[in-house]
Amino acid sequence: MATQAVTLTVNGTKHTVNVDPSTPLLWVLRDALGLTGTKYGCGIEACGACTVLVGGGAEKSCEMSVQDASGQNITTIEGLAATPMHKVQLAWIAEQVPQCGYCQSGMILKAVELLQQTKTPTDAQISAAMSNLCVCGTYQRVRAAIHRAAAM
Amino acid sequence: MNQIVSRRFFLSATAAMGGGLMVGISFSNTALAAAGSTVNVWVTIAPDESVTILSSGAEMGQGVLSSMPQIIAEELLVDWTKVKTGAAPSGSQYLNPVTHSQSTGGSNNIRSWFKPLLTIGAATREMLVSAAAQSWGVPVSQCKAVQGAVINTATNATLTYGALASVASTLPVPTSPAVLSSAGSYKLIGQPVARPDIPSKTDGSAIFGIDVRVPGMIYAAIKHPPVFGSTVNAITSTPAGAKSVNVGNAVVVTGATTWDAFRNAKSTQVSWTVPAGNSSASSSTILAKATALLKNGPTTPAETIGDVKAGLAAAAKQINVTYTLPFVPHACMEVLNCTASVTATSCEIWAPTQGADANLRTAIALTGLSAAQITIHPVLMGGGLGRKFEQDFISQAILASKALGAPVHLTWSREEDFSNDFYRPMAVCSVNAGIDASGAITAWNNRIISPSVMMRMFPAYVKNGLDTVAVAGAVALPYKMGSRYVDYANVPSPVPVGFWRSVGESVNNFVLESAIDELAALAGKDPYAYRAAQLSDARALGVLKAVAGMIGWSTKPATGHARGIAVSEGFGSYIAIAIEMTAATASTVTVTRVCAAVDCGTVVNPDTVVAQIQGGVVHGFSSALWGNTPISGGAAQLRNFDNYALTRMGNMPHIDVQIVNTPGAPLGGIGEVGVPAVAPALANAYFALTGKRLRGLPLKIVTPIYGDD
Repeated sequence: MATQAVTLTVNGTKHTVNVDPSTPLLWVLRDALGLTGTKYGCGIEACGACTVLVGGGAEKSCEMSVQDASGQNITTIEGLAATPMHKVQLAWIAEQVPQCGYCQSGMILKAVELLQQTKTPTDAQISAAMSNLCVCGTYQRVRAAIHRAAAM
Repeated sequence: MNQIVSRRFFLSATAAMGGGLMVGISFSNTALAAAGSTVNVWVTIAPDESVTILSSGAEMGQGVLSSMPQIIAEELLVDWTKVKTGAAPSGSQYLNPVTHSQSTGGSNNIRSWFKPLLTIGAATREMLVSAAAQSWGVPVSQCKAVQGAVINTATNATLTYGALASVASTLPVPTSPAVLSSAGSYKLIGQPVARPDIPSKTDGSAIFGIDVRVPGMIYAAIKHPPVFGSTVNAITSTPAGAKSVNVGNAVVVTGATTWDAFRNAKSTQVSWTVPAGNSSASSSTILAKATALLKNGPTTPAETIGDVKAGLAAAAKQINVTYTLPFVPHACMEVLNCTASVTATSCEIWAPTQGADANLRTAIALTGLSAAQITIHPVLMGGGLGRKFEQDFISQAILASKALGAPVHLTWSREEDFSNDFYRPMAVCSVNAGIDASGAITAWNNRIISPSVMMRMFPAYVKNGLDTVAVAGAVALPYKMGSRYVDYANVPSPVPVGFWRSVGESVNNFVLESAIDELAALAGKDPYAYRAAQLSDARALGVLKAVAGMIGWSTKPATGHARGIAVSEGFGSYIAIAIEMTAATASTVTVTRVCAAVDCGTVVNPDTVVAQIQGGVVHGFSSALWGNTPISGGAAQLRNFDNYALTRMGNMPHIDVQIVNTPGAPLGGIGEVGVPAVAPALANAYFALTGKRLRGLPLKIVTPIYGDD
């Protein structure tokens, strides 16, 4: 496949990568930029492990082409973790949410979006927004951490 | 355990990273050494007083990277906030003292390592005390370890562990270190300490196998045959720019990125050699074979107690029922992957693995290198669930690296992962049981027909055709039974089967606790009261009573709600689960509450125990409600999460977990304990709600959520 130079802004830094422009953003982040905190789970937008913030909104990066993402500000889990940590991350640690941890980058970024849209979400709003898959079954703690972050 | 230390005990000191000193302590017991097992644990103390303690267990979410070091820290007397943890590298010196394997499974690590880890902690502490005594020129008896430091009791002078580590590492290791703590006096054991690995799992810095990046590595994907058991005949076409490698059971295909490799693997053309008969295997043909064995045998006895024929003849009432369970995939969040770098003189492997020592054997076999030339680097697993014991993905990466002469980072697509699993075996199980007029069980005749995992993986452990893993949870039952006969037969099929979180218990507890519920109904008794009367095991009764109290069993549920209850024993632990549900539609329900009471003996980290039970219940929920791998045309008809339901947040009610400690009880496992009783508790609640008995999994009584797209 023909490669071309694509410029994208990730965590405030501009990058130019030479890739097939149809490559999903997920794989540019992971394999071209070395930002491995964003995870591959399904490749079909069915699990949420690859969730990143694009222009501030949570998007699944596994089916968004790098070309489509190129003009926008992209935040990955690595970019959220400034000093001090984001309140959602602090709440995640306080509630000891992760088990294996694989889905948690996507979970956290989805929760960041939820709290941007709804300052104090109800249980029902959390259930509706948080459809990310966690095979370890950390859902109860995810819910508790979102409530905790909302109160922070 | 002190006698283990007194046999042969040696120390090695090596400068470690960060200017600290690595106090490497290893000891071996002659009895264990004779069995080929050595024990080894590292403690590193840095000048900044941070203490790094390694875990020999592989982390897949169960918290072993934290709980093993927590046991050492108890005796070492250090502030937990100063503790960093890490994974021990692989090697024969890290073999589990009980299983003699560096594998992580069977909920085994804490049970096997508890006492040796206390001894390691004590030995390390005594060396630091000796170093202080030497520095001050005073007797050891005048020195005492406190949190992270040693005090001179005559002068109140102190020296920190960080200041002492260098001297300590030069001292002889005590031959019989005194373990100071004991049950009832633990300071750190039993505390819900924060897991040191968790911050890295919130900022993207945790490195899973799939995140490994090695200089010069090539991204690669896999293409498996369309029928189980097939092998590569020939690779007939490879996309331009890609390379393909025949690895026997599949073809490895390269790409510029993993995604590019996925695409290239899809378009690579391969002709396959398909074993005769494999392409006609289907769920229904395998079920038919199993059903024939159920009816006619031959089978192998697994347990015989008394005369079950006489027991049945004496029964006032009987049940004669059959339960059916399908193949179930693992579906770990992290797909299978392995990074391998093979040269003429070395082999390095980075893989999310439950079987580090098995990887070493695989690498030796495939490369011809010696163990000393092979390095297995520990990395995190994004879930393991039993699947990551297997060697298929390890072998593929090794063979590809060898063929391509470069490091290879092999990642399976989700579709390849789903359709080339080693599934939880299907099973067909009958129970013919009888009760007397009081409801007491006079006879229990349970036949289990299921493809054997052990015959493939550990044939040497299969005696007379009996797979002891397949009957786990069906024998040595906690119930009073006048007579019992349990038998088993393997039903061969081309479908690969493997260990799946809680293995035999996940099959057999559904059968046991559903059938006990049927007997309760037959006797006209309340399901809780019936179990309480028929259980002979005090710990099983303890968790049953506790869960009944949690859910308020003595009070009737609200109108339109119903409850189910089940108890299970396995991995040295006991759990009872009670579930409440209400009708959602004519055929589906909403589960409104789950309560679990667990007795796992001594608890290292109660928060981890609670997390494992919460997670185990969710996993049990998924498999009971929807877990199924349909087979047709000799292949799994599963591709991805859009057609495979797993529990999502919107399906999962609040789970209350209570730890019920039996004083003095031996330490039990926890990673698998939460799963088995969920399926029967759900089916029993459904029976209570509807009067309909569900004897087949998946239950499909809850509407799944597939995500938001």
